Amino acid sequence: MTELFTLKHNPLVDPAMHIWAWQIPVYLFLGGLVAGLMILSGYHIIRDRYDTDRPHGHYVTAPMLSVALLSLGMLALFFDLEHKIEVWRLYMTFEVTSPMSWGSWILLLVYPVLIASALLNFQEAQPRLAARYPTVAGVAEAMRSRPGVASLIGFANIALGAGLGIYTGILLSSLAARPLWSSALLGPLFLFSGLSTGAATLHMLTHIEKGEDNSYGDFLVASMVGWIRPKHGEHEGAVKLAHADNGFLTIELSILMLFLINLSGSSAAGHDAAALLLTGPYAAVFWVFVVGSGLVIPLILQGLQAANRIRPTMIPALLVLVGGLVLRFVLVYAGQASHWPRIAGF
Amino acid sequence: MIAPFFKFGMFGTEASLVVAFVIGIGFGFMLERAGFGNARKLAAQFYFQDLRVLKVMFMAIITAMVGLYALSRVGFLDLSKVYLVPTLLVPDIVGGLLLGMGFVIGGYCPGTSCVSASTGRVDGMVYVAGMFAGLVGFGEVYPKIKSFATMTPMGHLTIAKYFDIPYGLLVFAVVVMALGAFVAAEWAERKFGDGSAGMTGGLLESTRRLTPVRILALGLLVLGLFALVGGDPYRGNTVSIDPRALALSAGRGVVKVSPGDLADSIVKGTEEFRIIDLRPAAAYATYHIPTAENIPLAALAPDSVSSDDKVVLYSDSDMQAAQAWFILRASGDRAAYILAGGLDAWKDQVLYPVRPAKPTGLEAAAFEKRAAVSRYLGGTPRAAGASSAQPVEPAPALITPVAPPSAPDMARPKKRAAREGC
Repeated sequence: MTELFTLKHNPLVDPAMHIWAWQIPVYLFLGGLVAGLMILSGYHIIRDRYDTDRPHGHYVTAPMLSVALLSLGMLALFFDLEHKIEVWRLYMTFEVTSPMSWGSWILLLVYPVLIASALLNFQEAQPRLAARYPTVAGVAEAMRSRPGVASLIGFANIALGAGLGIYTGILLSSLAARPLWSSALLGPLFLFSGLSTGAATLHMLTHIEKGEDNSYGDFLVASMVGWIRPKHGEHEGAVKLAHADNGFLTIELSILMLFLINLSGSSAAGHDAAALLLTGPYAAVFWVFVVGSGLVIPLILQGLQAANRIRPTMIPALLVLVGGLVLRFVLVYAGQASHWPRIAGF
Repeated sequence: MIAPFFKFGMFGTEASLVVAFVIGIGFGFMLERAGFGNARKLAAQFYFQDLRVLKVMFMAIITAMVGLYALSRVGFLDLSKVYLVPTLLVPDIVGGLLLGMGFVIGGYCPGTSCVSASTGRVDGMVYVAGMFAGLVGFGEVYPKIKSFATMTPMGHLTIAKYFDIPYGLLVFAVVVMALGAFVAAEWAERKFGDGSAGMTGGLLESTRRLTPVRILALGLLVLGLFALVGGDPYRGNTVSIDPRALALSAGRGVVKVSPGDLADSIVKGTEEFRIIDLRPAAAYATYHIPTAENIPLAALAPDSVSSDDKVVLYSDSDMQAAQAWFILRASGDRAAYILAGGLDAWKDQVLYPVRPAKPTGLEAAAFEKRAAVSRYLGGTPRAAGASSAQPVEPAPALITPVAPPSAPDMARPKKRAAREGC
């Protein structure tokens, strides 16, 4: 038994190709989602910088949710680190050619921008909290009264969001030893996947309502109903988000197809790597969860919802989120399984 | 190209999951379009107000029935390869009643509850949650009720086979019955319904024109009549032997299963193979491979194994097994294998494996595994140098490998296949 154990787990006998477990895909997913949320809220902040009358439901929720999700993602990343104490060394230097270095600095800059975005609409979105903390409300008011500051925060959101979204893809493609990842298309693919999951998260937020519907006697049923019905007066926003999400999903689907076509038509190693997803051991998960229920079905459902053919629910948003997560898992796992043809003698 | 595609190896397991996804989404979409996501519409049929469930289900049944019949008659489909759920009479009746009670109480069956939940209906979500709780509960109590759940087995049964009536007659009778049910349903909807359902475009519409519905009904009737005179859709009666295909599979050695592989499959409890002992009953009673059943060669008939089974044949030597293999293969395209080397090889390699004289690390590890399998199956591993020609050990004990305490850790619990619901 000992022999069996030793032999099976000796990397010289049976090489362990899967170095990255769940932490990296989870981090890539959450990072992409936050990137998408930042770009979307950046756009909203710039658009509404002179307009204080618009409903500001998510303008505080989304950045605060981003802070929480990004922290979770970075925690996952931290779990993956081999030398956890040495993290600070990343911030002692800046290497222009290293995506890892870009990423660590972007992650550091994202937090203050997110908090500033949340503060910007603090007064309108959380009037009760603002009354309790007049100092914070004062700072928020000062920021709000200067459209230039709002523009700055908006542009910072968009720039950092785009950087974060692209970086999560480029991080993988810089590893040339894995044929599946050696494509720059991963950058835009992850960016648009992040945008679609970000839009889906906002879409879900519009559906979340706290038990206002009292026509159901049972608390459990009432809260379930609350979770799936769009908030009153935000139906228009939900439809716009569904429209935006469909745009992102369409672009993501095209990039994904280009990525696979590009790979299939390249070297033998690239062809084998693409075959892992298209027909190989990851085919079922890829076609069903990424392409089927992650892209095509949400596209159809949201199209039907936008055309008022079916009742709007949070199900397409949920499918998009699951699809985005599975995309990261499939790409990270299949990427680690892909390899260059073995050279004789090794 | 002959269906079923999966059984003829047109695509693998991965692709079959993708196909299942596409079919599942299509099925759900059709149920939703038929209005089956709404519990009120489903319940209305119990009051004869809206009988669309009856109509859609009967329509699905006869479409599948005449479709399968016609396709297998023109040679596109091998009906004997289509999986039939084995009939377990009493448990099926009890289970059916339970499902019906759930249907009446909740307003959904498993398929429609998924449709309803996907369209955002809360009752559907509660129902789906209840279904999963029930599945977990069933899995937990299954060992306790296993003896009940497997009682009165009747095998892969069809009505035509059981009552010994021609298949074509049955197809025709069901088509006529379905058309009658459609007419009766429309009549009931007019009498009990509020006038919203089934008023226009039905079979009973007050016009003499040949409406699309009537054309469809006529088409089904014609297909039913075709079935009445068309004969048996199963190919079993007229089988042409392809000697070259037989020679090819025999020559390539793909028809053999090694004793080690068979032992692994028994230990894992996969029930992948149906093992058949071809020796006389007396020899079988003395010793047989665990889980094997006894069908002496003289008693072997093509219908003693279903074409769904993967059969492993063995006797003392390869000779009789090869004869049995030919009998089975000649009666249709069956998955039949020969235990390589017969029972002698089984004893040599599985029950009494010999430790290599100077094993390397890998060989020692492999032997440890084989020794564990041997002890599990009631044998004894032998030390190096023992002659393999004369086993000194006593005859192996008859054992039934039902989870002994020393089971090697490769054993996996058997997964039960999910039943298909409506």
